[in-house]
Parts: sequence; C-alpha cells; structure tokens
Amino acid sequence: MRAKAGGLPYLKFIFRRERLTTPIWLLSFLLFSTGITLAYTHLFATPEDMLLMAQTMTNPAMQALVGPVYGLDSLTPAMLMAQQLLSLMTITVVIMNIFLVIRHTRADEEQGRLEMLRALPIGRLTNPAATLFFAFLTNLALALIIALGLLATNIDGMQAAGAFLYAGSLGAVGFLFAAIALLMAQLFSTARGALTGSFVVMGIFYIMRAFGDMSSADSSTHLLSFISPLGLGLQVSSFYQNICWPLPVLFAQAIVIAVIALLVCRTRDLGEGVIPARTGRQHASAFLQTPLGFTWRLVRGNFIAWSIGMLVIGATYGSVIGEIEQFVQTNEMFQILLGISGDGAEQAIAGEVAASFVALIMVVMAMIAVVPVILIISRLRGEEKQGRLEPIFARSIKRQHLVLLYTIIATLGSAWFILCAALGLYGASIPSGLLDAGETIRSALMYAPAILTLLGLAVFLIGLLPKLTGLVWLVLGYSFMTVYLGPLMSLPDWTAKLSPFGLIPQLPVQEFSAAPLFALSALALVLIFFGIKSFARRDIGRI
Amino acid sequence: MAIIEVKALTKDFGKVKALNGINFTLDQGEVLAYLGPNGSGKTTTIRVLLGILRATSGSAKIFGQDAWTNAVELHQKIAFVPGDVNLWPNLTGGEVIDLFTSFQGGHRPSLERRNHFIKLFDLDPTKKCRTYSKGNRQKVALVAALASNAELFILDEPTSGLDPLVVKTFEDCILKLKSEGKSILLSSHILSEVEKLADSVVIIREGQVVKSGTMKQIHKEAHGRTLEELFLSEYQTKRGRHEG
Repeated sequence: MRAKAGGLPYLKFIFRRERLTTPIWLLSFLLFSTGITLAYTHLFATPEDMLLMAQTMTNPAMQALVGPVYGLDSLTPAMLMAQQLLSLMTITVVIMNIFLVIRHTRADEEQGRLEMLRALPIGRLTNPAATLFFAFLTNLALALIIALGLLATNIDGMQAAGAFLYAGSLGAVGFLFAAIALLMAQLFSTARGALTGSFVVMGIFYIMRAFGDMSSADSSTHLLSFISPLGLGLQVSSFYQNICWPLPVLFAQAIVIAVIALLVCRTRDLGEGVIPARTGRQHASAFLQTPLGFTWRLVRGNFIAWSIGMLVIGATYGSVIGEIEQFVQTNEMFQILLGISGDGAEQAIAGEVAASFVALIMVVMAMIAVVPVILIISRLRGEEKQGRLEPIFARSIKRQHLVLLYTIIATLGSAWFILCAALGLYGASIPSGLLDAGETIRSALMYAPAILTLLGLAVFLIGLLPKLTGLVWLVLGYSFMTVYLGPLMSLPDWTAKLSPFGLIPQLPVQEFSAAPLFALSALALVLIFFGIKSFARRDIGRI
Repeated sequence: MAIIEVKALTKDFGKVKALNGINFTLDQGEVLAYLGPNGSGKTTTIRVLLGILRATSGSAKIFGQDAWTNAVELHQKIAFVPGDVNLWPNLTGGEVIDLFTSFQGGHRPSLERRNHFIKLFDLDPTKKCRTYSKGNRQKVALVAALASNAELFILDEPTSGLDPLVVKTFEDCILKLKSEGKSILLSSHILSEVEKLADSVVIIREGQVVKSGTMKQIHKEAHGRTLEELFLSEYQTKRGRHEG
C-alpha cells in the first residue's frame, strides 16, 4: 500500500485546511433544513391545506421541478416537506461536494502545490484517497446532523426511519458526486475544466430526472428517474414508504466510480489530464490584441457554455408545458373548480396553468442567469488575485477601460442568458402551442434590470470592497430564498421586495409596470459608475 | 536627466509600514541595482512606480511625471518584467507576447524584432502557457519586454528560473540596451549579475534605504572585502543599532 503512504497525516492536513469552509456549509444546511421544516406546521395546519398543495404538485410541471409526489392518501407536514425540499437540498449538497473535491485535488495540482507535497514521503494515491475519505466523512456528518435536526423539530409525521432516509439520501448522492468530481479531476488538466465537467454531469442527471419524474410511472421514460442518481435519491419516499434500497445502490455506484478515478490517477503523470493539452497559434490575432478581444477571450468559454446551458434549462421546462394540457384533461378537479366544461375549456385552462408556470419558472431561470453574469465580472477580480492584472496595467492600459469592458460584456450577458432560456422554453413548447413567442421573450427580458442590479453590486464591490466581492452571491441566495421559497414558506411579502427579483412584475400573470425596471436600471448604473471610479483609484494586487 | 525620481516614499498596508521614506534617482543610460533581503520592500517600490499601488506619502516620478496619475501614458515608454510570471493558461506564449506589445501602445516594434528575441531566447511560441516551465514563462515576459521600444526597463528579479546560457544572453541584452542610452532599474538577488551590470546600487532594508552610491564608491567602501561580503553585512539587521 505504498501508493497511499502518509494517508493519516494527509487527512489531518485536509481537516486543518477545511476547519472553516466545511463546518460553515454543514451548519448552513442544518439551519436551512430545520428552519424550513419548522415552518411546515404553520403552513399546513389542516389536512385540506396539505391536500391542496399536494394536488398542485401532482402537476407534471411541478414534478419536473421538485420530484415525485407520494402519499396523497395520508399526508403529513413531514412528508410534504420531504417532497418539496429533498430535490433542492440534494443539488446544493452536490455543489458542496464538487467544490470540495476539486479544491483539494486538481486545483492543488494545477497550482503546483501538490508537487511539493508529493516530494514528501506521500504516495501517489494519498491525495485523491484522503480527499475522498474526507468527503465521505463530511457526507456522513451531514446525514447525521440533518437527521437529528429533523427529529428535533418533531413536527407532525416526523419519525426516525424517514428522517434518516431523507438525510441518508442527501449524504449518499453527495458522496457519489464527490466520486464523480474526483474522476473529472483526473480527466481534465485544469480545475476549471474539472469543475465544468462535474457541473455538466450534474445538469444532465438533473434533466434526466426531470423527464423521468414528469412521465407516468408505467412509461419507459420514467426509468430515467432511476438511472439518474439525482432521481434515485428521491425514490426513498421518506416518511411514507421509507424505501431503503436506493442508498446502498448509490453508495456502490460511488465506490465503482471512485475506483475508476483512482486507477486513472495511478497511471497518469502529475499535472497531466487524460484529455491532452494542445499547441496553439504562434501569433495573437488582431482581435486578441485589443483589450476587448483579450477580455472576450478570457470569458468566451464561460459565455458560450452558459448560453448552451441556459438554452437546455429553458428547453427542459418548455417540454414540460406539453404535459400540462394532458394533465388538465385527466384531472377533473380543475374543471370542477372552475365550473367549466367542454372542448374549448380544456385548452383555456391549460393556457392559464401554463401561464402561471411560465411566471414561476421565469424568475427561477432569471436567478440562474445571474450566475454567468457574476462569473464574468468576477473574472476581473480573479485575474487580480492571480497577479495577472499587474503585467496588464504595467502596459499602457487604462484601468477604467478594462473594468468597463468586463462590465459591458457582463451587461450584454444580463439580457442574453435569460433570453437563451426563454428561447429554449418557447422552442420546446411549440408542439403544445400554449405559449406565445413575443410574450415569453418579454416576460424574460423583464428580469434584465434585476440581473443588471446584481451586476452593478458586483462591480461596486470589486471597485470599493474587493475582499467582499462574494457578498453578491449572498444577495442572490437571499433572493432565491425569499422570491422562490418565500411563498412556499409564507414569508411576509416585504422580504421578497427587498430583492431586485421580487420587484419585477411576474409576466404574464402580473400587470406590467415600467417603474421598477427604470428604478433598478438607474440603481445599477449608479453602482457601476462608483465601482469603476473606485477601481481606477485603488491599489491593485493580491489584496 | 533623472528618469526615476523617488522622494520620501512611504507605503502603508494597514499598520504595516512596507516603505518608510525611500529616496533614490535613476539617471538616463544608467543601470541601477535595487537590492535588499526578502520582504524589504523592493517589489512594493516597483509596484508604486508602476502605478499599481498608490503611495501613502512622498513622491514617485518617472520622466518627471507622477507614477500614479500619469500611469497609462508613462507605460508606453516602460517595459516591465516581474520575478514571478503568471500567465493565462489557455493562451500561447506567442499570443501573450503580441498581447503585451499591443497593450503597451506607443511605437510598435517590428515583427522581425519580436521573432529575433523569440529565437534568441529559444522559446517555442506555439505552446500554451500552462505547459511552460517557470523558466519558459520568464522568457515570455523577457521577450515581450526586450522586444519593445521602451525607454525605461523595470526588471524585478528577471533571471529567476533561467539557465546560465539564457542568463548570459539576458546580460548581453542589458548591456546593449545601456549602450543605446536606455535606463534600467534592476532588482536582483544574484550579486555577480549586479556586479557585472550595475552602475549604481541602492540597498534597502525594512522599507528604508541603508546604502546607496555608484559602483565605484561601493568598491572603495568595501575596503578589500568582496562586494558579496559588503552586501551581506548590509542585509543583516543590525540589532545593536536598533537597541541603541
């Protein structure tokens, strides 16, 4: 076992480096999970409340979003909580695991830190094996604290088996993605490549699950929910049937992938990936030699990848819309509720359900579309931290000019990415004929000022408080909590109004109003103005 | 004419005084060696001269203009080589050289000149920067700087990671630049290099100048000691002096 020499000290070393980050993640999960669970007792005091919520969730569109619905005959708040939150929680746990693993493997290797460690009496597989073991411990700890936290809330329907299955599903899927990220770290020679690869795998599995969950249980598409680990994890049916077998299956999958990753690692050279580095041009093209061309080159990959990603996300939700019509046809409740019947009525009701779905989905997609915009502007800060702005500003380049270029590209992105999502949404909904192209695009572009506001905040922070650039993610997190989850948790309306996304009228359900759009755009411009001005005046360096 | 003129330059990072009243001048056609132990403030001084850091007090002037306010215009005539070259992993060496030259603006050097230096330093410009060794990354920065038509060269440990053959090439280039009347600020730890190239020397320690003068004066002061012995004694913190 020389390949894993020095494992224990290495593990200690990882604990030392992770003494802040991982505990913060775990604590946030615990607070979020128990906090929201407590809210469910007030939300659904009567069985009727729960049934009404469950009925809306049987809508295939909603199932594509949150996962399978079960136990309509004996609903409890605990069951409802598990159905609505497990999917979202899983995605966040997966993100934590991907970052954790890449941070300790490929990122260390790319920066040359691993080389120094490997010069010590440390085996070839010590780094990946210790990292994986640490990820295992993290997911185990996560599962334990989430389960105990849930039990401590003691809401109606809470029971040990369900709580441990719910939390165990989180841990198992999390660990599986730790193994997937470890494999990606072997395939790609850069941390960015490995991160992108891992997130693409996550996206594909999410889409598979969405398609699987919205199709009927007897169709073959439904199998997708079992093939995708993100779907398999939701099959535990916690607090209802309490099915155990998905957990060992997920764990076994994780082990297989981890073994493959370790085998690849054993045979490859340090610093290399399986996908080889290529040579390139001898001369910079005329475009690359301009500051604009140079900046574009740095963010190009991100821009294109996210454009495709947003298109796919939009198309995924768009294909759900076709299911809505069928759902309305088979669900008599809608027709009875509205007191209408007849051929035309079904189409009309389906149109309305589709419209409210679009309104909901658009705000979610807008908040996803913020991510690439922030990534693009953060690249400027990243370049600074890497010490690569120094050689640029040592040349005859104006600081205001460079920060303005990043801002312009990101500003175009604020409209572009959400537009991509809208085009995907509309394109995939064409067979159903339920959406109008102009209306869909309009309701999407309504969010551009909100995205621009977050961009403005990022520019402002990079200029004035560069160390706190990360705050913008916190604002996005707050927006997601209040605008998307707020209605679910019955948070007061004003909490959502504090977020730029809560201020945008949700077309086509709400009335159009131009005032918030102008106000947010103006705020964004002011923030950008001060951000650029301060950036030109402050010290540049690894601060 | 003074190319660089630094007067009572101070730079604080919070409570830490990185530079504490630095004074020196660099005249035209001169190679000034800027020496000092690690962490003494050499790189901080250079960053202030490049307008990347803002001086807390005092002045830093290049070609008679303020290094901070006129940074962009000044940089057309300045070439810079950092000691720790960090490049964009997905661009090739050739692309980075073109990029730097283009961003420098001013009078653009010919393609011949660029290729001459690439050949002189035996650099493969088609390779991506992520595949370069430290020495090769250093060469990229050197080629970009040397090929430019700059008047002032600011070099921060420019030969770190280079093999002796390349170091020799570099030294020849510097002597040639000097004969063309270009001015050079050279921060280095390689004392033999300093002895060969420098006309005058400034030694700093803990953000203050502890010794400065022409190479001739320094030689005279050495009193039979080698220059290395002299530098080493100046590098050491004289505890006795601090304790009074």
